[in-house]
Amino acid sequence: MSTTTTRSPAAQASARTAPGLLKQTLRLARTEFTLFVRYKTALMYLVLPLVLFLPLMSTPSVEVLGEFTNRDLTFAAALVSIGLMLGIGHASNVFAARRESLVLKRLRVSGVPQLAIFGGMTLVVVLFTLALAVLILGAIVALSGTMPADPVLLMVAVLLSAVAMTLVGLLITPLVRNAESAQMFSVVPMMALLLTGGVFFPLDLLPDPVRTVVQFLPVAPASEMAQAGYSGYDVFGGYEGAEALGTAALWANALPSIGVMLAWIVILSLLVRRYFKWDPRQP
Amino acid sequence: MVVRDLHQRYGDFEAVRGVSFEIRPGELFALLGTNGAGKTTTIETLEGFRRPSSGSARVFGQDPFGQPAVIRDRVNAVLQGSGLLEDLSVEESLRLTSDLAASPRDVDEVLRLINLVDKRKLRIRQLSGGQKRRLDLGSALMTRPEVLYLDEPTTGMDPEARHETWKIINELKESGVAILLTTHYLEEAERLADRLAIMHRGEIRVEGTLSGVLAGWGDRVSFLLPSDVRTADLPDVDGAAIEVESRDQDLWATYTVTGGDVTARAHHAVAALIAWSAEQGIVLQNLQVRGASLEDVFLQVADGAADLITE
Repeated sequence: MSTTTTRSPAAQASARTAPGLLKQTLRLARTEFTLFVRYKTALMYLVLPLVLFLPLMSTPSVEVLGEFTNRDLTFAAALVSIGLMLGIGHASNVFAARRESLVLKRLRVSGVPQLAIFGGMTLVVVLFTLALAVLILGAIVALSGTMPADPVLLMVAVLLSAVAMTLVGLLITPLVRNAESAQMFSVVPMMALLLTGGVFFPLDLLPDPVRTVVQFLPVAPASEMAQAGYSGYDVFGGYEGAEALGTAALWANALPSIGVMLAWIVILSLLVRRYFKWDPRQP
Repeated sequence: MVVRDLHQRYGDFEAVRGVSFEIRPGELFALLGTNGAGKTTTIETLEGFRRPSSGSARVFGQDPFGQPAVIRDRVNAVLQGSGLLEDLSVEESLRLTSDLAASPRDVDEVLRLINLVDKRKLRIRQLSGGQKRRLDLGSALMTRPEVLYLDEPTTGMDPEARHETWKIINELKESGVAILLTTHYLEEAERLADRLAIMHRGEIRVEGTLSGVLAGWGDRVSFLLPSDVRTADLPDVDGAAIEVESRDQDLWATYTVTGGDVTARAHHAVAALIAWSAEQGIVLQNLQVRGASLEDVFLQVADGAADLITE
């Protein structure tokens, strides 16, 4: 035995300083990255958004906002769906599997704070979502020759939706028994949020009351931010009568959408904190 | 660790019914019992995954529910299942634990301790059950816990690994760690426990030091009953209960001696019986004297005949 093992616990206790929450979160994110790359199913969730993009390529293209076509706007909205699929699909699948195999329980019992565990997962979803979004955006720019008007606003939209959707994924896990049922069950919110997110059909087509409701769900605001960021047009009140605006005015008009997304992130975080189950035997 | 009158109910079912015990630094307390006796539920309450239905659990004087920050860095556990990320290698897993901990041990030191140095690059899913179990213990040691919960820590290990593990656990105990152990291997409890309790149907039926528990159970003196001796002719011996049972068509008499001077009671009983046999001019065939084993006690408790022991 080395000398370290024989130190009295009291002496050890005085020397204890846990690594900061941020450090722990980043460390877990690093491991999440390794595991993501080694896990085939995770790669599937990465390919899924690309499959969505292919049929969009063949939709008829009509100019609706200046030089921007309906297809451009659909593409912009579809960038938000990357985080949607990855967040809901990957987070629910992996955390349900880890709860079942007692990984989550062991992490908690060995002293890792819950925020770091959730944070590590959120970071890795955000990272892969942003990377894929940049890749797809690059392809769109190369094909269309138009640069996004406000890339920062566009990426903030992608980021906020990735965070919110990861939380939705975490929130699915208490409702399911294992990873398989998580995979099946996660399709329901995934489809529901995709349909109301302005990807399959423009939100403009919805009747006004429905559109108002949808704008308070956690995807449509991000889709509109993405479209605004891509086109530079103020699309928050619909395409009709939307004007091209400068950066400041565009961000000012985006504030309500950012607010709705942040509110969702807070609400979803509180729900995760309240309902997340760490132990498969937990009642 | 202090548990006072702990109750845990799931709906109508009461898994734990009024359990109390305490464990001090440097002490190992073993919780034995059949499957479903409530051992794991008790540990899970101490680990902070369950709020007691009534009664209390305290670790370092704190309510452990929800793993509050003040005690989080000072406890750790080997769970009943492994709980390791199987796509990581042995070393990656230990490094992760080390980087997340407040005052971790050296990874190489732990690898040597659990004898997995040559397996360090192997993915965890490639390890055998016993190797995984060693890594579970190693992972728990990484954080230098002062309180350690071991839920069947040697399941799946070969005898050699089990002995190595016992050595590690004994060293932890000597360094002042308070340990709560559950196990199905009674020998493990006999080797490691300073005190032990046997749980059955949510209650602690027997509790004490190993020698105390065994002393309460008594020593047994048995012999083959000669064919010309009737049961009623058997002599009374002070402090002993007589039982006659048939084994393979023979009748065996067993005197169970309880109470009194624990060290000398078997001697006195045998002396009395030898004197009686000399008087009768018979031989006590196949005479056996044995102390109770933990297994005797355990089986009686598991059968629900706990009253016999505590009387």
